Order: sequence, then C-alpha cells, then structure tokens
Amino acid sequence: MKFYVCIKQVPDVNAPIQIKGEELIQDTNRMILNAYDASAVEEALVLTEKHGGEVEVVLIGPDKAKETIRKALAMGAQKATHIQTSGDENYDSSTYASILASFFKDKEYDVISCGKQSQDTDAGLTGSMLAELLNLPYATNAVGLEIEDNQLVVKRQGDTGQEMIALPSPCLVTCSNDMNEPRIPSLKGIMQSKRKPMEAVELSSLDVEEDNLAAKTTVTGYQEKPEREAGKKFEGEPDDIAAEVAQLLDTEANVI
Amino acid sequence: MSTILTHIAISDGKIKRSSLEVLSHCTQLANDNGHQSEAVIIDANASQYVDDVKKYGVSKVYVIEDPIFKNHINTPLLKALTTVMEQADPYIFAFASTEGTKDILGALAANQDAAVLSDVSEFNLIDGGISAKRPVMAAKILSSNEAKADKILVSVRSGSYELAENETDGEVVNIDFSFNESELKATLREVIGASGDKIDLSEAEAIVAAGRGAKDEEGQKLINELAETLGAAIGASRALTEAGIMDPSLQIGQTGKVVSPQLYIAVGISGAIQHVAGMTNSKVIVAINKDPDAPIFDVADYGIVGDLYKVLPPFIEELKKIKG
Ligand SMILES: Cc1cc2nc3c(=O)[nH]c(=O)nc-3n(C[C@H](O)[C@H](O)[C@H](O)COP(=O)(O)OP(=O)(O)OC[C@H]3O[C@@H](n4cnc5c(N)ncnc54)[C@H](O)[C@@H]3O)c2cc1C
Ligand SMILES: Nc1ncnc2c1ncn2[C@@H]1O[C@H](COP(=O)(O)O)[C@@H](O)[C@H]1O
Repeated sequence: MKFYVCIKQVPDVNAPIQIKGEELIQDTNRMILNAYDASAVEEALVLTEKHGGEVEVVLIGPDKAKETIRKALAMGAQKATHIQTSGDENYDSSTYASILASFFKDKEYDVISCGKQSQDTDAGLTGSMLAELLNLPYATNAVGLEIEDNQLVVKRQGDTGQEMIALPSPCLVTCSNDMNEPRIPSLKGIMQSKRKPMEAVELSSLDVEEDNLAAKTTVTGYQEKPEREAGKKFEGEPDDIAAEVAQLLDTEANVI
Repeated sequence: MSTILTHIAISDGKIKRSSLEVLSHCTQLANDNGHQSEAVIIDANASQYVDDVKKYGVSKVYVIEDPIFKNHINTPLLKALTTVMEQADPYIFAFASTEGTKDILGALAANQDAAVLSDVSEFNLIDGGISAKRPVMAAKILSSNEAKADKILVSVRSGSYELAENETDGEVVNIDFSFNESELKATLREVIGASGDKIDLSEAEAIVAAGRGAKDEEGQKLINELAETLGAAIGASRALTEAGIMDPSLQIGQTGKVVSPQLYIAVGISGAIQHVAGMTNSKVIVAINKDPDAPIFDVADYGIVGDLYKVLPPFIEELKKIKG
C-alpha cells in the first residue's frame, strides 16, 4: 500500500515558553516532529514493512522545517515532499487542509495518514477537513491499524469504547500517539536520509484558491494560564497525614 | 435575529452534561444579544430527550431519529448535521467537545465552508463572529482567537460553563432523515469495551487517577477500593494505559480526556504537563507521591508525600469513617 503521511513541525511544548506582551515567543531551537505525526509515520512503516508498499511524507512549512522532514526520512520513510511557505503566514487548520487537498488532487495512494492533532494547538481539525475535501472515507483518533484484504482496519478511541472500522482504500486516518512508540532513527537511518529524495513544491504551483488561503480564524493574543497555587504538602507518618488530609477534604474542602 | 444552534450529544442513553453546559451558555448569549437559541438531537431514540432539552430556554428543538445513530459512525452523522444546518441556517453551531464531535467537526466545517474553533474554554459574540479562548501548548497558555464568517462552528471543553435551566415551550421539529447502507463509506465492525455502567470520566464529580506508581496488582486493588469508597470514577495516566494495565478510554490528559471534577486524587502520577493539561480544571486536587519534588505537587491543593501502599490504607479507612 502507498501511504502518504502528513507531518508538521511544531514547537516543543516542554521548551521554556515566554510571552512578551501578547506575543508567544517560541524557542525556535526546539522545533520537533509533531508527536502524533511521529506515531503516524511509525505505523505506516510497520504496516509497509509487513505488507509491502511505500511511505512518503508531506510537510507544509518554511525552510527550517526540513530538519523535521529529515527526521521522518531517518525513521525510514522512503520519500518526502516539502511544500514551501515563508512561515510567517497566518494559517489555520482549514488553510493547511486546503493546501494538502490541492496537493493530493492528482496523486495516487491507498492511505493518507495525519496526526490526530497538532501538539502545540490541539486543534484536531485538519485530518477530517482533508478527508471531506477529497471525499475520502476516514476515521480519526486511531489507536491501532491493520491491513486486511486491502482494507484498512482502524481501531479508534471513541467516547466510551473503541470502535473497529474497516475503510476501503483510498482512505484517510488520523493517528493517536497511543498507537505505538515511534522508533528513534538509527545512525544508519540518519546517514541514508541524506540521500533520500525530498521534492520541493512551490505553494503557487498548487493552485490553491485565494479564498482558501485566507484563514477564517485568527489568534489575537496569548496569555499565561492563571496557575493553580500549590497548596499544603503533608510529610510524616503515613497513618497521621493520611487521616489528616481525609479530615480536611471533609471539613475544609467540603468535597466528601 | 440569528440562530445559535447547540448539538446535544447522547452517550449510553443519557444526554451528555457537557452538551447542556454549552446549551446553557448559548441560550444566555442568544438572550443577551437578541438571537434565538435552538438545539438538535441526533440519536436512535432522539425524541425521548426532547423534554429535558426544552428546560434550557430553546425556541426550537430539531429531532433526527434513526436506528443508524445507535453507534457513532461519521458518515450518517455528517449527513444529519448538514441536513439540520440547511434547515436551521445557524449563524453559530456549538458542540460539546466529545470524541464524537472531534471526529466530525473539521469535516463539517469543510463541507459548510464554515469557520471553526475547536476545544475552546470560553466563547462570546463579537461583531461579525465570535471570540474564544483556547488552551494551547499542553494547556500552559491560553490563546485568544477570533472566528469571522457567515457560519461558525465551535466546540467547548467540558466543565467550561454552569448549567442554567430556563424552561420555555420550544417548538419541536422532526426532520425527515433516511440513510441508505450504500452511502456508508466505511463499515463499523464492532464496538469494544464500551463502559456501560461505569461512570463517565468527563462528567464525574470525583475521580481517582492512577499512575505508574500504582501499576501492580496491590496498587490497583487500593485504587479500586478508594474509588469505591468515594463513589468516584477511575482514571489513569498514559503510563498505565500504554502498558495495557488500564483501559485506553480512561486516559486523562492531552491525548486522553479533559476532566473537571470536584475532587481529583492523583495516585503515583508524576504530573507531566501532558497529564496536567487534562485535569487542572478540577476543583480540589489531591496528590499522593513518594517523591517530594514531583511536579504534581505544584498543582495539588493537598499533597501527601509518601509511599502510596502505606498512605492509601489509612486514607481509605478514615474516608470510610467520615462517610459513615
Ligand atoms: C504528545 C503527548 C501526549 C501525551 N498525552 C498524555 C495524556 O493524555 N495523559 C497522560 O497521563 N500522559 C500523556 N503523555 C505522557 C506524559 O508525558 C507522561 O509520560 C505520563 O503522564 C507519565 O505517567 P505517570 O505519571 O503515571 O508515570 P511517571 O512519570 O513514571 O511517574 C510515576 C510517579 O509515581 C511515583 N511513585 C512511584 N512509586 C510510588 C509509590 N510507591 N508511592 C507513591 N508514589 C510513587 C513516582 O515518584 C513518580 O512521580 C503524553 C506525552 C506526549 C508526548
Ligand atoms: N503544515 C502542515 N504540513 C503537513 N501536515 C500538516 C500541517 N499542519 C497540519 N498537518 C496535519 O494535520 C494534523 C494536525 O491537525 P490540526 O490539529 O488541525 O493542526 C497534523 O498531525 C498533520 O498530520
């Protein structure tokens, strides 16, 4: 099967974050492959290693996002497409979905994989938008994937249980990081990644309608989330502190 | 006068409280701004929930009842949602941010060429659209957002608004709906491990959450006993769902669920930002951890530093006494 995995470069949420005024200053030295996309790449690699096929990654982003593409290639993806942007656009999920839809219009594939959400914005919209724009059957929040008789069998995490859904190809799936543990690229993988094909595509060559490149949503500012105050810490004899806290939950916090 | 429409999610034969929270807010917005608040119920037994929805100040309730909605399947749900959007012509269409919503929100927005903001913690009307706050960067930061368009979709985190009853004699509109099996692009083969009688985490008043520190059988036994004593739902960190010790639907955090109970007890959980992202809206947080420097203590109202195997038995004993 031919897999296209849509990958995004995101700031590491663990990096120190500063807000200056209402701007978010992201430590650009810590840009990473979106964790959910790393799981999507991993799963596509596992499935193609088992059933044959090819994994190609697609990324929309500025020049510095190339390192993220290299990471996916070093993990084992065979090819990459880099849809180039300046990086200072005001894009939202629907803009990315529109660009990806134009890119996929004349492509052949069995499965398009996305992450279930971006780790920095948690929007979780691009995947199902893209499926709708391409009129593909889809499933989101996959925690397991199998190939059976040319169908993609998705185990998705629903509200209460897991739903097993069979999708005919071509189809689209969005992946949870609960699916697997993405491999760490080996030294050999890193060396090989440098020789793997990375095709650069100009955004203008994709003929995305002007209207669709204008985001319908904007971020107008950022604020530090009001932090919870750390409360009381109890140390000492387990019997005593356990009883004390239980009492306080009843008499002070009123939650028993 | 425009329409603010709220989707009413049904789960395990009950209206999701988070939908009614959203509806309460939407009715308030409609009343304050001269709009009308309407709701839509899409379910195999949709009509049986109408009376409860009418308690929340709606001028109309759209009902789409069809056996296909017994389980969540995205194709028929999308068809039903587009049908109701054509009929109700909402300016704003609001949802509770459930897994069911997350599955279709982007597709519906693309289909309707609507602006969309997902998983907001608050939203309000502004000129030409809405403003909203969203937690980002693993909920360390709040971003302010605006969406401006003729149609706007928004999904709201559970626990963001209080329920506010406001009985009106809303009109009930049954929408004809048919769905042909051949329109199903995908097949739902089975649903595994639906919780049934278990307490829904996103609505629970009390939650006992277990982490790697409580991974063995003895730890699990203590967790169960504590939850039973308090009538609490059980949740877990990723360390335990990943190891297959706890059901994946119990995961709380960035990948898992966002919860907002009155009482949250984190047992043997370190407090990684991705876990904390899902639970800081709890009213009272208790942490039990043997590492005094564990980050979970930074967000806990009551931090018990100690070995959970030594702390939980007397803790449970005392709670049992209080409960009498
Ligand atoms: C993109 C992404 C999304 C994620 N989403 C989630 C999510 O939704 N939910 C989530 O939980 N995690 C999530 N994670 C994982 C998260 O980063 C942590 O790895 C995870 O929360 C750790 O679980 P833990 O606290 O149980 O385990 P650990 O970090 O291993 O902590 C175990 C704790 O137990 C304590 N302990 C051990 N023994 C005892 C004892 N006998 N008595 C008392 N205390 C004891 C230890 O001191 C330690 O603090 C995500 C990660 C990524 C990258
Ligand atoms: N710039 C991008 N390039 C490639 N894929 C992207 C891009 N942005 C989003 N995606 C895909 O959409 C998913 C996230 O969607 P969202 O949460 O809506 O931002 C990611 O996991 C990717 O699979």
